[in-house]
Amino acid sequence: MPDKKLEKTDPLFSNGLNLNPEKREFQFVPRLEVRQNSPEWLRLVIYALSLLVGCVSAIIVMSWAGVKPDDLIQEISALLFSGTRTIASILAQTAPLVIAGLATAAAFRANFWNVGLEGQMILGTIFASFIAIYDVGPDSIRLLLMALAAMLGGIIWIAPAGFLKLKLGINEVITTLLLNYVAFNLLLHLLFGPWKDPVSGFPHSAQFDQVERLPHLGWENLTYTLPLALLLVLVTWWFFTFSRAGYLINFVKSNPNMAKAVGVPVLGLSITAIIMSGAIGGLTGFAIASGIEFRMTRDFFSGFLFSGVLIAFLGRNHPIGVAVVALFMAMLVLLGQSLQVFYQVPFALIQLIQAIFIICVAASEFFLTYRMHWRK
Amino acid sequence: MLEINSVSKSFGGFQALDHTNFSVNNGEIHALLGENGAGKSTLMNIVCGLYSPDSGSVKVNQKPVTFKGPQDAATEGIGMVHQHFKLVASFSVIENIMLFFNPKKSFGKSKDFVINKAKSLANDLGFAINLEIRAGDLSIADQQKVEILKVLIAGAKVIILDEPTAVLSEDESDNLMTLIKKLADAGTAIVLVTHKIREALDHCDRITVMRAGKKVHEVLPKDVDETSLTKLIVGEEIISTTEYSTNISETPLIQFKDISVSDDRGRSGLSKISFDVFGGEIYGIAGVGGNGQSELADLIMGLKNPFEGKITITDVGNVTLDNARKRRKDGVYSIPVDRYLHGLAGKQSVLDNYSIAAVIRGELGSWFNFNKKLAKSKVNEALIDFDVQGVNNINQRASLLSGGNAQKLVIAREFSGKLKIILAHSPSRGLDVRAGAAVHARLRKARNSGAAVILISEDLDEILLMSDRIGVINRGEIAAEFVAPASRSAIGQAMVSNA
Repeated sequence: MPDKKLEKTDPLFSNGLNLNPEKREFQFVPRLEVRQNSPEWLRLVIYALSLLVGCVSAIIVMSWAGVKPDDLIQEISALLFSGTRTIASILAQTAPLVIAGLATAAAFRANFWNVGLEGQMILGTIFASFIAIYDVGPDSIRLLLMALAAMLGGIIWIAPAGFLKLKLGINEVITTLLLNYVAFNLLLHLLFGPWKDPVSGFPHSAQFDQVERLPHLGWENLTYTLPLALLLVLVTWWFFTFSRAGYLINFVKSNPNMAKAVGVPVLGLSITAIIMSGAIGGLTGFAIASGIEFRMTRDFFSGFLFSGVLIAFLGRNHPIGVAVVALFMAMLVLLGQSLQVFYQVPFALIQLIQAIFIICVAASEFFLTYRMHWRK
Repeated sequence: MLEINSVSKSFGGFQALDHTNFSVNNGEIHALLGENGAGKSTLMNIVCGLYSPDSGSVKVNQKPVTFKGPQDAATEGIGMVHQHFKLVASFSVIENIMLFFNPKKSFGKSKDFVINKAKSLANDLGFAINLEIRAGDLSIADQQKVEILKVLIAGAKVIILDEPTAVLSEDESDNLMTLIKKLADAGTAIVLVTHKIREALDHCDRITVMRAGKKVHEVLPKDVDETSLTKLIVGEEIISTTEYSTNISETPLIQFKDISVSDDRGRSGLSKISFDVFGGEIYGIAGVGGNGQSELADLIMGLKNPFEGKITITDVGNVTLDNARKRRKDGVYSIPVDRYLHGLAGKQSVLDNYSIAAVIRGELGSWFNFNKKLAKSKVNEALIDFDVQGVNNINQRASLLSGGNAQKLVIAREFSGKLKIILAHSPSRGLDVRAGAAVHARLRKARNSGAAVILISEDLDEILLMSDRIGVINRGEIAAEFVAPASRSAIGQAMVSNA
């Protein structure tokens, strides 16, 4: 027999819980139990609470950094209620984030951890820019050709990772991630080489012609990037929530063995989701190049991989959830920008606030899985 | 040694335990019997610190204890061997033991310590397990031994075994019972949670029967027999009788001819196996576990393809190389052995798990739209028809169902289409008497409607009770065939013969 006394008093033995029975009643360590069921209302309540905790922590951090709570509230209300211009800039910021979130969520839905969004964006943009630079096809369908080319580019860049995963079981996190670097260097090669802007000589492509840009909506300075994002939300929402394939994909994710045994075409559905993810990833690049920058730049993609994963995760891979979270993220970005300008708050602090929100929402999952007992 | 007084526990309005008492003494083997959902597992989970009781007390050696987690319970000398083993497959045996029990020494020293301890214990108990082998490579019976070793090394004075023989063959069960007797003789208190009435009667010193969260009886094995004990458990008498088929078809519905399959490690799983199954009969496949049953099941389900031989289904033709999807189209439905591997997606809702078969058949809406309304009405009908209990809401996760109800859900789904050929692989494993009888009744009903039923089971009683014809599988071959009623000893002989 091992020395029992030693174990009892050694806090390490029990994951930090002191097992000494006499002292137990003074502790406030909760006991955990796995929940038998977690209803939908509880999910909403816990999410709301987590956002509240996030807001409170953000206010504390900001006031520590010199932004008083009432100033912060003033900034937020300025962002939301000072007219159509700020609303429009929030929406303009939201659109590419939505598409990036959808691209990531589509793959996550089928258990394919696509972290190659940036590579797919780059390839999509390269393909679309090719159409634009060499004026392929008649003007009337140039934009459509660019969008299709972008989708093709995204698909081509996700395909090897998908093939390696499905055929040989090679981890897609590694392959998709590394393909980002390949794509990035290809982009640099083009921008410093053959596709360098002939007008300015800077490492970005020549400006797209008017017919190669997503047109203006006619309201503020919004372009058709936003309707494109909304259309993609609707299509993916229908696909994942109402279509038969979307219904079956849920089984591919939650139990592929069972799915195969009951006759779900696991391979076909995985391929569908992967292709979908690549295509939307390519469109993300197209939406930025053709809707915002009007050329292919050196760093149009940067940060989207991380944002996409985050938005998909926080939106629980649900297209509507993705749209809502993307809107929230866009507001955080703009709020951060004005705080930077007017209060000299460093950018790192803005990222810190974002991280706080993410941790809060992620932590809420724990409370949905477990139930706590605070009684002795 | 262990005493539980008036413990209650409820889960979101459901009273799982209602003022239950239970005790076990040193050197005693105490059987805990009851139907699925009677509260046995909840009670034992409280004892081993996974759940905390709403009210009531737990005493170890007359001293009241409160457990905050399994570690607390382990410190008090309570060890549990769960029904689903908690071993890390990629760790060696010794690493698994150290994960659970770690003497406060440097790594090297504690490893030596545990190895010595494990060796001497294994020696005392007559185990032959290589301590360096990966846990995932051990047979189920050996994994169970590791679990027992684990709790013993941690100093368990009370060992709780949750349905330990559910996954074992008859021989292995006998060995386990001998081992348990040995431990009890050495002074360990043993709680045996089980469905098997024979086990309780033959090997235990005391029997406690639970029903609906309450302890209803405490009896001594000498005071009861099998029939009266069954009656105590279910509250009524369930008589199981054989009932043979009357309308066997002229020609076989499915034929297997000289089929060979390799197993997961590339060794021979089935070698030149041949048999036919006719419509309107239950073809039982008896055998000691590991003689090719799981390969045969995979083969029938279309999860595995043979490298030689031919499978033919009447009205379809040669289906040798078809996949699972095609197989189901051809009318082969199955009750798989592992409900949570091939039967259900635990994270999906009851509704989804039921509907998926019909969705694939194209019955619930089109490609563009999943008809949820129709699916809902269908699942509600099926839940009543197949007596699936414990569903508060059809959107709840399937993993929340108890074993018996999960099995009923699988059967409800598999029987929702037109029945032609049914594979039932150990369909009543882990089920209580009543649920097992319900499953058997379903299989008979399917047979009487003209379907061909293939019943693979390691439980010879089940095979004898259900089958019209029996094939004995031995080393991947059908070693002998019998027409019911067949002699138990002749089948047993064929199961173990080395021919």
